[in-house]
Amino acid sequence: MSDRVPATSAVGPKRSHTAIHVVLIVGSVLMVLPFFWEVSTSLKTYAESISVPPTIFPSSPVWKNYTDVFATLPFGAQFLNTVIMTVARTVGQVFFCAAAGYAFARLEFPGRNAIFIAFLSVLMVPSQLFLLSQFQLMQRFGLLNTVTALALPGIFSAFGTFLLRQFFLQLPAELDAAARLDGCNPFQVWWKVMLPLAKNGMLALGILTAIWSWNDLLWPLVVNNDPEKMTLSAGLSTLQGQFLTNYPVLMAGSFLASIPMIVLFVMFQKNMLEGIASSGIKG
Amino acid sequence: MNRAHSKTKRTAFVVAAGLAAVTALAACSSSSGNGGGGGDSGPVTISYGVWDDTQGKVMQQIADKFHESNPNITVKVQITPWDQYWTKLKTAATGGAAPDVFWMNESNFATYASGGVLANLSDKLKGSDIDMSNYIDIQTKAYTFDGKVYGIPKDIDSIGLWYNKALFKAAGVAEPTADWTWADMVAAAKKLTDPSKGQYGIVAQSAPQQSYYSTIPQTGGQVISDDKKSSGYDTPEAIKGVQVWVDLVNKDKVSPSLQQMTDTDADTWFTSGKAAMIFEGSWAAAEFKEIPYAAQNANVAPMPKLDQPGGVSNGLGNVMSAKSAHPDAAWKFLQYLGSKEAETAQADAGIVIPAYKGTADGWVKAFPEFNLQVFVDALKNSSQYPSSMNSAAWQDPIELEFNKAWSGDETAAQAAANSAKIMNDALAAEK
Repeated sequence: MSDRVPATSAVGPKRSHTAIHVVLIVGSVLMVLPFFWEVSTSLKTYAESISVPPTIFPSSPVWKNYTDVFATLPFGAQFLNTVIMTVARTVGQVFFCAAAGYAFARLEFPGRNAIFIAFLSVLMVPSQLFLLSQFQLMQRFGLLNTVTALALPGIFSAFGTFLLRQFFLQLPAELDAAARLDGCNPFQVWWKVMLPLAKNGMLALGILTAIWSWNDLLWPLVVNNDPEKMTLSAGLSTLQGQFLTNYPVLMAGSFLASIPMIVLFVMFQKNMLEGIASSGIKG
Repeated sequence: MNRAHSKTKRTAFVVAAGLAAVTALAACSSSSGNGGGGGDSGPVTISYGVWDDTQGKVMQQIADKFHESNPNITVKVQITPWDQYWTKLKTAATGGAAPDVFWMNESNFATYASGGVLANLSDKLKGSDIDMSNYIDIQTKAYTFDGKVYGIPKDIDSIGLWYNKALFKAAGVAEPTADWTWADMVAAAKKLTDPSKGQYGIVAQSAPQQSYYSTIPQTGGQVISDDKKSSGYDTPEAIKGVQVWVDLVNKDKVSPSLQQMTDTDADTWFTSGKAAMIFEGSWAAAEFKEIPYAAQNANVAPMPKLDQPGGVSNGLGNVMSAKSAHPDAAWKFLQYLGSKEAETAQADAGIVIPAYKGTADGWVKAFPEFNLQVFVDALKNSSQYPSSMNSAAWQDPIELEFNKAWSGDETAAQAAANSAKIMNDALAAEK
C-alpha cells in the first residue's frame, strides 16, 4: 500500500501534463492557422486561391504578389502614415487619459461625478455615431485628407480615462497623503508617485490603443481620400473589387502590414502579457 | 527636491512637446491637399469617387485621357471599397465634401437626388455635347428624378444562363439554345443532377436580379408598379416567377439548398464544376475568365423563356456633387465620361457594357472564350431595375423574406404576400 501511493501520484501529474499539452497544441494550431493561410494564399495564383477544394500549399510560390503590392499601393507612405497615427494616438491616449483618470480618481472638484458620468455615457454609444461629427470637425479645421486628421480624434478616449481611473482608485490613498506631506504639489504627486505605480495600466492602455489604431479602418477611409494619405488598413481595403478581388495580392499586403505588430509583440511579449493580465481585460 | 521638481516639469514638457511635434510633423507631411479656390481659370484638381478597384484603373486611364485635352484639369480617382463607399459618401455629403464627380447606382439614386446632394444637370444639358437619347433608354430613365436629369448613364448589365460545356457533354445533353423554354431547362437540369458525384443541374441562387427579378417580368408580373407607389409581389404572375425557382430547389431538387449555397457561394458551385448551370450577370465574365476551369468550360446562352421575354438591367451613372468647388471642371469631366469615346473605352478594356448605344462590341470581343453577345441582345427586352425613393428600406428585408421560401420555411405565395406588405409599408412611408 505504501508503494502504491507514490505510483498513483506520479501518474496523476503526468496525465494532466499530457492533457494540458494537447489543449495547448490544439489552441496554438487554431491560432496559427489564419496566419498560415494568409501566407499560403499570398503565394498562390488567383485561380489557385479560389479553387475548390482548396490547396494547402501553393503549387509553386508566386513571389510576384509581393512586388504587386508595392506596384499598386504607395506602401511606404501608407506605412509611415500608419506609424505616425499609431504613435500619436498611443502617446496621446496614455498621457491624456492618465491625467484625466487621476483627476477623476483623486482630485476633489465640483461636479466631478456628473462629469465622469457624462464620460461614461460616451462609452455606451457606438463609435460610428461620432463619425459624422468628427468628420465635420476635421472639415471645419481644414484638416480633411491630412495625416493629422488620421490621429487627432483618437489621441484621447473615454475608455482609457475610465480604465486608468480604476487603476488609480486601487492605489492606496495614503501614498498621496504622504507625498503631499513631503511637499509635492498635485502635479508632482501624479507625475512622481502615481504614474510609476500605474505603469501596468498605462502599458495595457498603450498596447490596446496601438493594436486598435493599427487596425482602424473606417475612420482613415472616411476622412482621407488620397492613397498617399491613407493608412495601410484603408489602402489594403481598396484592393477589394465589387465582383472580383485579387486575394493573393491582398493577403501579401495584409501579411506585410501585420509584420510590425508581430515584431512589436515579440519584443514586448513579457510586458504585454503583464499589462493585459493586470488590467483584467483583453483586446 | 527642487532639481527633481524641475526635471519632472521638463520631462512633462518633453512629452507634451513630443506630442505636438508628432502632430506638427503629420501636418507638414500633409500640406498640398486640393488647393485652388473656386475660380476655374487656373489648374484645378477634381476628385472622381468609385468603388471598384478593377474598374478604378480603367477610370484613371479615361481621366488621364481627359487631362490630355484639358491640361488645366487633373482628375484623381478615389477608390473606396463597396462596403464603406456609402458610409463615406453619406458622411462626406452631409458635410458638403462629396467627391466632385462620383459613381451612383440605381438603388441609391433617388435618395441622393431628392436629398440635394446631386447637381441638377437638366439646364447644363441644353447646348452641351450630351444627348440623352444616345444612352439605353431605361438607363436615361433610371437617372432622371422628378423629370430632371441628375446622372449620365455609365454602364448596364443583363443576365444570361451560364452553362458548363463539359458537364453537358459528359451527360449527353444538348447545350442550351436561344429557343429554350423553362421546361427545357428543368428537363436538362434533371439529367445533369447526379447525387453520387455531388453534382447539381443548376445552382438556383436567391440573389434577386439573378432569380425573381429576371423571371417576374417573364410571367407578365411586376416587382414595383410604374408609378413606384405599390408592390406587385402579391399578384399570381409574380408568385409564379418566384415559384419556378423554389421548385428547382425544393421540388425537383436539381439545385443545392439555400444552406449549401451559404456554405459555398453560388458562383463557386458553378466554376468548380459542381453545378452545370447558373443565372449570372454580364459582370461575371471578368471573374470566370480568371478561373482556368471556367474559362475553358463555361459559355453563356440567353435565359430560357417562361411566358414572354423579359428581365431587368442595373447600371451605374456618373453624377456630380451639387456642392462641388469646381463645378465647371466637374461638368466638363462628366461630359467626357458620357462621350462616345469614354464609354467605348470602358468596353474595350473589357470591364462593362457601356450605357451608350452601340458601343458594346469591344466588350464582347474582349472575351473571345464566351458568347457575350447574348448579354447585349438581352438588353432589348430588359426593363428598369426595381427601385424607389428609399429602396434600402425594402430591398434587404425582402431578400431575407424570399430566403424563407428558398429554405422551404414558407411557400412562395406566403413569402410573396409578406414581401408585398413590406414593400407597400415602405413605399407609404416615403411620402
